[in-house]
Amino acid sequence: MSAVSNVKGFFGSSMVKYVIKRLIYMLPVLIGISILTFITLHAAGDPLNIIRLGRPTVDQATLDAVAAYYGLDQPIPIQYLTWLSNILRGDFGNSLFGGIPVNLLIGNWFWETVKLMTISIVLAFIISIPIGVYSARKPYSKTDYAITSFSLFGVSMPTFWLGLILIIVFSFTLGWFPSEGSTGVIKVWWGHYVFDKIAHLVLPVAVLVYVSLAQNIRLIRANMLEVLRSDYILAARASGLSERKITYSYALRNAIAPTITFLGIALGAIIAGAPMTEYVFNWPGLGRTYVNATTRLDFPVVMGIVMIITVMALLANLIVDLIYVYLDPRVRIG
Amino acid sequence: MTSKKEQKNKNAKRRGASQWAVAWRRFKRNRAAVVGLAIVLVVVFLAVFGRFFAPYPSRPDPGAFEPFYKGDVRVPPNSEYWFGTSGLGTDILSEVIHGAKYSLYVGVIVTVITIGIAILVGSTAGYFGGWVDNVLMRFTEVFLVFPALLFILVFVRIFTLTAQDPFLTIPLLNIRIPMGLTIVIFVLAIFSWAGNARMVRGEFLRLREREFVEAEKALGASQSRIIFRHILPNILSSIIVVASLTIAYAILIEAAVSFLGFGDPNTTTWGQILQENFADMRIVWWAAIFPGLAILFTVFGFNLLGDGLSDALNPRLRD
Repeated sequence: MSAVSNVKGFFGSSMVKYVIKRLIYMLPVLIGISILTFITLHAAGDPLNIIRLGRPTVDQATLDAVAAYYGLDQPIPIQYLTWLSNILRGDFGNSLFGGIPVNLLIGNWFWETVKLMTISIVLAFIISIPIGVYSARKPYSKTDYAITSFSLFGVSMPTFWLGLILIIVFSFTLGWFPSEGSTGVIKVWWGHYVFDKIAHLVLPVAVLVYVSLAQNIRLIRANMLEVLRSDYILAARASGLSERKITYSYALRNAIAPTITFLGIALGAIIAGAPMTEYVFNWPGLGRTYVNATTRLDFPVVMGIVMIITVMALLANLIVDLIYVYLDPRVRIG
Repeated sequence: MTSKKEQKNKNAKRRGASQWAVAWRRFKRNRAAVVGLAIVLVVVFLAVFGRFFAPYPSRPDPGAFEPFYKGDVRVPPNSEYWFGTSGLGTDILSEVIHGAKYSLYVGVIVTVITIGIAILVGSTAGYFGGWVDNVLMRFTEVFLVFPALLFILVFVRIFTLTAQDPFLTIPLLNIRIPMGLTIVIFVLAIFSWAGNARMVRGEFLRLREREFVEAEKALGASQSRIIFRHILPNILSSIIVVASLTIAYAILIEAAVSFLGFGDPNTTTWGQILQENFADMRIVWWAAIFPGLAILFTVFGFNLLGDGLSDALNPRLRD
């Protein structure tokens, strides 16, 4: 495949071909993951048993009817194909608990999770750049040690535990922020429903920002250190450019490209970390619902969420790869 | 440990400083790395000797519930119970001490398995290249991309349900291995090797074109000899660094799994303690703070150690 050598090439035909190829590659991955999840879920147990545990008096005829209604009496390959053909028509099926169509709920969950994640990722990225750059420009100084230990703490901290501590301090003790949910049910925080939403966002976003901030700072610092040592920075210094220009327009641009690739992995970490944060803050997003649905073996809900999260992760990786090519034209695609 | 090091030092004197002696000297100069090593040693000490000085025995032993029988439930930290007692009437300090061995068990075994799989997959893909590389790397990508935590939850749920005995006792040594936790470990390992395999592959790609490999090929060495005797020792330093960071990662993710209530209920890992006290956290804040601090302390130690090793073993990355 041809190398993308400039910005014009970025939008050129090879790029379009590459994107299409990557999108086609996603299909086997998606089908593989869906089969894997489907089989494991069925190996995990029978949801009818949970009904039996909850209502010991229920008779067999009712259970049979429930099984027939949800198609649970069919052999597993047939159930999978039914699910697949439904999902291709955009139908995620009905939740086994309450019978509500997953389609109606999943949009809400998705929106809540995306809201939480986008705000945290963007905030973390914006904040981490100046801190990481500062740390790399004065390596092994006192400030640098403070910054690196601050970020190492963030990497070493269990996400959910930080959430617990923030709840104990800022919610239970000080009473500044709500401890759970995305909207006030009993009382409206800070007087207005818009402020109320913001009040609910503060603590979970703080947790997610700190965790990904820590990772970003470490990456930017490491990459900047490497770039600042290179010969072209020396050349730029020798030609008398201002330190500011060297740092921000020469070094940072080159240091940020590898950071972006790792952002793909960091994204994965956030998607994985979000369920923890959502669980602690009882946030009505995909992650918390997933955890609850897994405990209850709610197949349609779990399958739907796994599919959505996988697509999100795959697309995020693709976008990250494209940004990488854009920032570093030496990278070949194909 | 020390005897080996002395041997290394002796060797160093005979043939000039060895790579490891140089690395150790560099490691010693790095204060953060030494702190990390000290923390790790403290945790190892607690894991091995903790049961001799913990005030109460570990969980399946009914003695763990002694504070409960004394009526000391949800007691805040005081001179008798340094870290307070939980809602179940157990001493948090004892549980945190006993948690150390479980954490190390999780960290070390997960790391051994993941590094094993990573070396197998990474070296095959990196050394042979071509379609082998392509197939293996697509396979690795699947594991890298999808949200591991979600799968871990489902798998852990299945397998812990099928576990028969809560403990497997090794005769003579009198060590009890918690089966539920072991299952969690295997599931974690299966979903954690992908990143490491990519690293091993990258190193193999870099090294397989080098002159010493070519020379070995020209001498007619077998492929397994080239892989295991020549390339692998050269990436050993990277593997050691990654191993230290993987231990930290494994401890964190096990805590997460236990906290969500998918852990082994028979073992009081730190995540398990947090899970048990999550519901009445508003009252027993001490039960939320201390086990979490233990996790933070241990993971911080392993991360510091990993960073220090990385600086000591790959000096090119540093000034």
